[in-house]
Amino acid sequence: MKNELDPRIHRALDGELDPAALDAGERALVARLDALSRSLSAVPAGRSVAHRVMAAVRRPLATPIQRFRRWVTSPQPITVSLRPVYSLVIAVLLAALLWRTPEGPKPVLGAEEGVAQFVARFPEAHSVAVVGNFNDWRPGATPLSDDDHDGVWDARVILPAGQHEYMFVVDGERWVPDPMAGRYVDDDFGRQNAVLLVRPHRTQQ
Amino acid sequence: MILVPLLLSLAFQQPDGRLEGHVPAAALPGIQAAIAKAVQDSLPTEPLIEKALEGGAKGASADLIVSAVNTEAGRLRGARDLLRHAGAPAPYSARELVSVSIALARGVPEPVVTRVVSAVKDSLPGFALHAVADLQARGFQPDSSADLIIAAVGAGMSAHRLLDVAAAAEREVQRGSTRPQALARIKSILPAVPPQPLPPGAMQGAVRPRKPATP
Repeated sequence: MKNELDPRIHRALDGELDPAALDAGERALVARLDALSRSLSAVPAGRSVAHRVMAAVRRPLATPIQRFRRWVTSPQPITVSLRPVYSLVIAVLLAALLWRTPEGPKPVLGAEEGVAQFVARFPEAHSVAVVGNFNDWRPGATPLSDDDHDGVWDARVILPAGQHEYMFVVDGERWVPDPMAGRYVDDDFGRQNAVLLVRPHRTQQ
Repeated sequence: MILVPLLLSLAFQQPDGRLEGHVPAAALPGIQAAIAKAVQDSLPTEPLIEKALEGGAKGASADLIVSAVNTEAGRLRGARDLLRHAGAPAPYSARELVSVSIALARGVPEPVVTRVVSAVKDSLPGFALHAVADLQARGFQPDSSADLIIAAVGAGMSAHRLLDVAAAAEREVQRGSTRPQALARIKSILPAVPPQPLPPGAMQGAVRPRKPATP
């Protein structure tokens, strides 16, 4: 079935022909089609593309702020052109950055201070602390940690350079000399303290 | 206005302020007497307070704590006398006295301690004595160990590097040398003893121990 629109009606819909030039039936058809067009599109019916383009051209220029807001909120194509060698360098740098071991904050040490590392293996322990003359022998003052639960406990402690006596306290009640210390003195209470010598940090470097 | 008396009371805090609640009350008079005697003798009191706190933390009886504090005071007096005898310039710091005291406690003979102190009298003897005690603990002769450490000082090595000398001698033994050979070998290369490297990340996450201020 052929379904062609009368060219006059077409022109009337496009606004190129005054509807008064049409007969009553044609005007009714134009009115129906115009209403249908309005319901399908927000675009004002009865206006040609040329009209709408010209209307946009005649619209007052947007302010710089409006233009900026439009630029920021509307999608923009971004094209990055890199030479393969630069791409390779960037990839290597990113890989090196990701490969680097994460580091904690480095402490600031005085001239006569050094860092002592306490390490002990107590697989069954729930808590381990190091006590010594550097913390008044208080069991809760300097806990060791076992973050990966492998039974190896450790702590790094900033101490004044010189000799220190210490012991480990396991589960808050069992006092144990450091089995790895290799240096011990009697503690005058029937046990032995491990002895540690801390070198000043500047000589540990 | 409120802070002034508080600061004054902190400034004049007595040693037993740290001890109360941490040692049996019955031990306090004996400890205070030992401390007063140490002050009279110009000896440091901090090692005595630490010894008392150690006894309290370990659950020792009052009598044992007082006895240990007096023993510690005796060791400090002995260390001071040894330093004087060795010609080390007075006054002596707690660190010097404790290092001599620990060397004696670790079994280094008194004549060897005196000889080492005399040789390093311009610097702190702690590291030299510790190095000699380490060598002795690993089976080296005390006299020969002292010879090596004194030679290292004579070769211009700093006090802090003397532990590297002891460690290097131990490594020579692990490579198959006898102990006299190891000492001779290290003596021949002084002062070119390699330093012991710090393990990677040894500084990371280091914390200061919590301890009340020394009165």
